[in-house]
Amino acid sequence: MFQFVLDVLIRTADLALVAVGLSAVYALVKFPNVSHVQYAALGAFLTLAGQRLGLPFALAMALSCVVTGAVAVLLNTLVFRRLLRSGPAIAMIGSLAVSMVMVALMLGVAGSRPLRYDFEIVSPLVIAGARVSHAQAYSIGAALLVLGGFAWLLYRTPMGRRMRALATNRALAEATGIDAHQVTNLISLISGALAAIGGTMLAMTSDVHVNLGTDLLLPVFAAAIIGGLGNPLGAAAGALLIAVAETAVTNLNFGWLVGQPLAFLPVTYIGAASFLFLLVALLFKPYGLFDREVRRV
Amino acid sequence: MKTLAMKALAAAGLLAASAGIAHAQDVTIGAVLPLTGPSASIGEDQRRGMELAVERVNAAGGVLGRKLRVIIEDSGGRAPTALDAAKKLATVDKVPVVMGEYSSGITIPTAQYLVKEGVSHLNIGSSSPRVRGIGEGSFSVIGLDDVSAKFAATDVFEQKFRKAAFIAPNNAYGQGVAEEFKKNFEAMGGQVVASILYTAGQSTYRRELQQIERAAPDVYVYSAYGQEAAIINREAFDLGLNKTQWYAIYQTMCTTDTPAQIANGQIGMEVSAVGPAGKPYEEAYSKKYGEKFKSAYSGYAYDGVMLSAAAIAKAGSTEAAKVRTALAEVGRKFDGVTGEVVFDKDRQRAVQPYLRTRYQNGVLPR
Repeated sequence: MFQFVLDVLIRTADLALVAVGLSAVYALVKFPNVSHVQYAALGAFLTLAGQRLGLPFALAMALSCVVTGAVAVLLNTLVFRRLLRSGPAIAMIGSLAVSMVMVALMLGVAGSRPLRYDFEIVSPLVIAGARVSHAQAYSIGAALLVLGGFAWLLYRTPMGRRMRALATNRALAEATGIDAHQVTNLISLISGALAAIGGTMLAMTSDVHVNLGTDLLLPVFAAAIIGGLGNPLGAAAGALLIAVAETAVTNLNFGWLVGQPLAFLPVTYIGAASFLFLLVALLFKPYGLFDREVRRV
Repeated sequence: MKTLAMKALAAAGLLAASAGIAHAQDVTIGAVLPLTGPSASIGEDQRRGMELAVERVNAAGGVLGRKLRVIIEDSGGRAPTALDAAKKLATVDKVPVVMGEYSSGITIPTAQYLVKEGVSHLNIGSSSPRVRGIGEGSFSVIGLDDVSAKFAATDVFEQKFRKAAFIAPNNAYGQGVAEEFKKNFEAMGGQVVASILYTAGQSTYRRELQQIERAAPDVYVYSAYGQEAAIINREAFDLGLNKTQWYAIYQTMCTTDTPAQIANGQIGMEVSAVGPAGKPYEEAYSKKYGEKFKSAYSGYAYDGVMLSAAAIAKAGSTEAAKVRTALAEVGRKFDGVTGEVVFDKDRQRAVQPYLRTRYQNGVLPR
């Protein structure tokens, strides 16, 4: 049972940081940025490049955060803001195009072979009979820490208040003298950095590979939408729910149905699980599970 | 990345170099190998075997009084790329014989195309029983899994394991070996308590491993391609599954990309890298590349080239149809570095020696 909890936490950590950033930017720009998941892949590759250049891992990750954040700001200023003038649908299609270009670039530079960070091989930790590797433990810890910091920023600082004001009523917020561009840029920078941390943590527990971002697309969007797009902490809760659904689907023993001691759903159906979960959630709560909170901000 | 780039450069350099000295009079044969992709380490080893064979043949005066040259194409570990490469070899280079690939799932469609074009195919690394059905014109220098799976099942059973969990890729090779292993192991009285045919090319197999762990096997029997095996081994290590014995079918393939610290303690089986007459080859290999065999498969690539050269010499021509007939004749009895190669009535290697192996900082005989 504890293993189940740990598996859920590991998966939540994989998804939460990317989903939270996606949701936060959505609150300001009001279009779902598909290329956001590629920021995670970019971040993972940049950390790898830093480590291969001889930097310590933490420094490489910090640099990767800064660069990925800068890329997010640049793309937002140069591409998405212009596209948004033609409407959110155009901007979303534009972000899909950006996403494809990013994948092509990463494929061209790094190749299709999965790569790994250079870490010592150590036996997994055993906690109450459940096993978790050091990388996974770090990943869970980092996710909690970063999410806590982001929540603090959002709800305890003037900057966070400005961001929430803009998200709730843009016209009114601008009338009070809030610089919308500045706030959007800052949130883009932070969300890019969050994605870079998320991507690096995910790659640390598996591999750095070119499909890292694309594999995240479905579950991350499902998490952000379930949490109510534009509600960053809702996205974290959404990630937890998706993680529970995915882990439960592959761990449940359906043997009693087919009259065998053990029978599991093939792991390839895992994407379907999060999709199904999303569909059911949207049927009953079209604005996401935490909709009321958003409107009250 | 660096090593990949260097390998690509080396391969390109090799192709360029051989193209540079290319002469219209050269005798050419073709090969499709996984120089990149999940089996890249094996592909490189196969290339080395061919390189050594070509050197040997040319040092002894070549074939038909001309120089022998192998045109090596990269499959990228993907069937469509391998097919394109085979098309190029058959229609542009017009070679009489093509060797390759490594993975059965890629070898079979590639070879089916080749034999339809009248080009002979030499299987130098694939072992799915379905290779037998490719048809006239396809020959195997390596034994197929109807033999190897029985060898593995007997070995596992003799080690007193009774409840096996089985892991293999979901392709022609994996399905074939899973079926044969289960059949043989259960006939002896063992039980395959869980079986996973994994989807190739994933970045994680953690959930699959957790599923089969629930069946509480006393041994994990697995077979996976280099880099996929590396992921499986690492995640099994992270899940603590290595506390149970792991048994690798074709162990050099399974462990070639896995860190020694993780692979240590595994046991398994492998085709013999060399036969009784293979000692000089083994020495030539380590002299040229400065290391021991990277896998068990270079010798089969070497024998593939030698067999082709012998067939072309016997046919007295590079005409595809004549070479095909000659291959069958040479294959009645051919002394290769991997042992005696004799084709059965389906043109497959009849007797294949296998080794019991274990891993301790490298694959060793057990």
